[in-house]
Amino acid sequence: MKSSELPPLASVPFRGLGAFLWTEVLVQAHENLAMATSMIVQGVLLVFVVILAPGLIGIALVGAILFSMFAMGQRVLNEAAYIRIDHKANDLYLAGPLSPEAYFLGISLGILVVYLTPVVLLGVITAVVVPLSVEVAALLVGLAAVVWLFAASIGYVFSTFFRDNRAIWAYASLFFNVFGVLPPVFYPFARFPPALQPIALMMPPSAAAAIVQHALGATALTGAELALALGSLAVETVGAFLFAIFWARRSVRGD
Amino acid sequence: MTGEALRSQDLRKVYTSRGAPPVVALAGVSMEVRRGERVALLGRNGAGKTTFLKIASTLLRPTSGTIEVFGFDVSRNPEKARPYIAVVPQEGKPFFHLTPREQVYTYLRARGIARETARARTEESLERMGLLEFADRLAITLSGGQRQRTMVATVIATEAPLLFLDEPSIGMDPFARRDVWASLRSLTQRGSTILLTTHYLDEADALSHRLYIVERGEVLVSGTAEDLKRSVGGTLKVAIPGGAREVERFRSFGSCVADGEHLSVIVAPERLGEIMELAVRSRLTATVGPVTLEEAFLRVVGRSINEE
Repeated sequence: MKSSELPPLASVPFRGLGAFLWTEVLVQAHENLAMATSMIVQGVLLVFVVILAPGLIGIALVGAILFSMFAMGQRVLNEAAYIRIDHKANDLYLAGPLSPEAYFLGISLGILVVYLTPVVLLGVITAVVVPLSVEVAALLVGLAAVVWLFAASIGYVFSTFFRDNRAIWAYASLFFNVFGVLPPVFYPFARFPPALQPIALMMPPSAAAAIVQHALGATALTGAELALALGSLAVETVGAFLFAIFWARRSVRGD
Repeated sequence: MTGEALRSQDLRKVYTSRGAPPVVALAGVSMEVRRGERVALLGRNGAGKTTFLKIASTLLRPTSGTIEVFGFDVSRNPEKARPYIAVVPQEGKPFFHLTPREQVYTYLRARGIARETARARTEESLERMGLLEFADRLAITLSGGQRQRTMVATVIATEAPLLFLDEPSIGMDPFARRDVWASLRSLTQRGSTILLTTHYLDEADALSHRLYIVERGEVLVSGTAEDLKRSVGGTLKVAIPGGAREVERFRSFGSCVADGEHLSVIVAPERLGEIMELAVRSRLTATVGPVTLEEAFLRVVGRSINEE
């Protein structure tokens, strides 16, 4: 085909998303071991809860679902940095018609599609152990999606700052475990030090957990606390997502 | 889509980082690549070849100057140029958990190429690059050369109007390199344009219509490989091991380059008998071969292309 015969192509937002998502699904699906080990932290914490405080298993299961979605952000960070630093895949894909936002979302959604299976299994166990109404189940699914979007967005943005994979492993693990395990995600919000509770309500994983615990009747949030949790989740998630889109476009070209 | 395939004017790139002196990677590069050409950027490591390619392929901001791809200003509107380009990045690797067939096909699909076309081009490209035998093995199990072939297969399958290849045949065996050259020749016959960087002189000689020799961020010379070889001052190279000690006796025949004990003399064919006779009388052995780009590079840059 002669170059002059090619049709003019405009830059289209999200162009190539479906195909690149499928690429990432294929890549991730070949790593069965990683999928199987994606539940280790949650599994260990659930075992601790069963032994130490079996009455809290329902809350812990809900927390495990939310944490699993948050931890996918760590996978986005690791994967985006790895294929950029080790494979130069960003150069290969972004010096072409694939849109930068499709590249970011393709990685994120590809990981979500593959790693959702163990989360769904966790959801089935939760539904058996905890009597969830349809409304609360829908709330949990919605909040899990919001937590994932937030985590994937910040994971992608952070991935662009590193030049060495070794540094990423340490920081990513620290960041996602501190923000996903330490605050009241796996345990009742009321047991978190009162002075620090507003901070927990401003952090997406613990804000989502507190809202679900409130809906389950396991935690009583005041109207102001509920507003803070919902408002923080909305503002931070929308802000993180829009910034990630902006940053995906901006970071195609280095300085 | 108008204009030359690529045109740069006084392109400069200075890398700055806190606490370190600025590094001038490009010091005002002007060049053009016409449609359908294969052009090589030839230079030592650190000469600025990859920086130029990264700017041209919309992956790096220039410090100043202009660069256009098919008439689109790459600095201001990179997204308009991107649909028309494809790049083999230096040291790029295919996804380790995809097979070459999956890699090429999914890449074409991500570029918006229709399924049937993508399938056909995938098979054609894998065949051209001698990858059919390994097409369904995960890339993690392939050798370095096979992975590099997969990268080249991925990009040539796009048949993009302008292809950038940064050291495309690095790590390949001689047969695979020739497969790459044949594929690139075929692509330009079909209308694509190719800009590649290389520090393999034989590759630049065999493949490029024109080449630019780059050193310290500047274009020192440009032209065809034949022009450059002619500029050396002769068409034959006489290699005389141990001849460096006798360099003064050979100087009248043409330009002499001593490398340790070894002497190379560039001579015109009509003086070949004379210089061979002198070598024999001096009890030295001498071998004759055609002048290559190596001599041209040495003359222009003053150093071997492999010298750090």
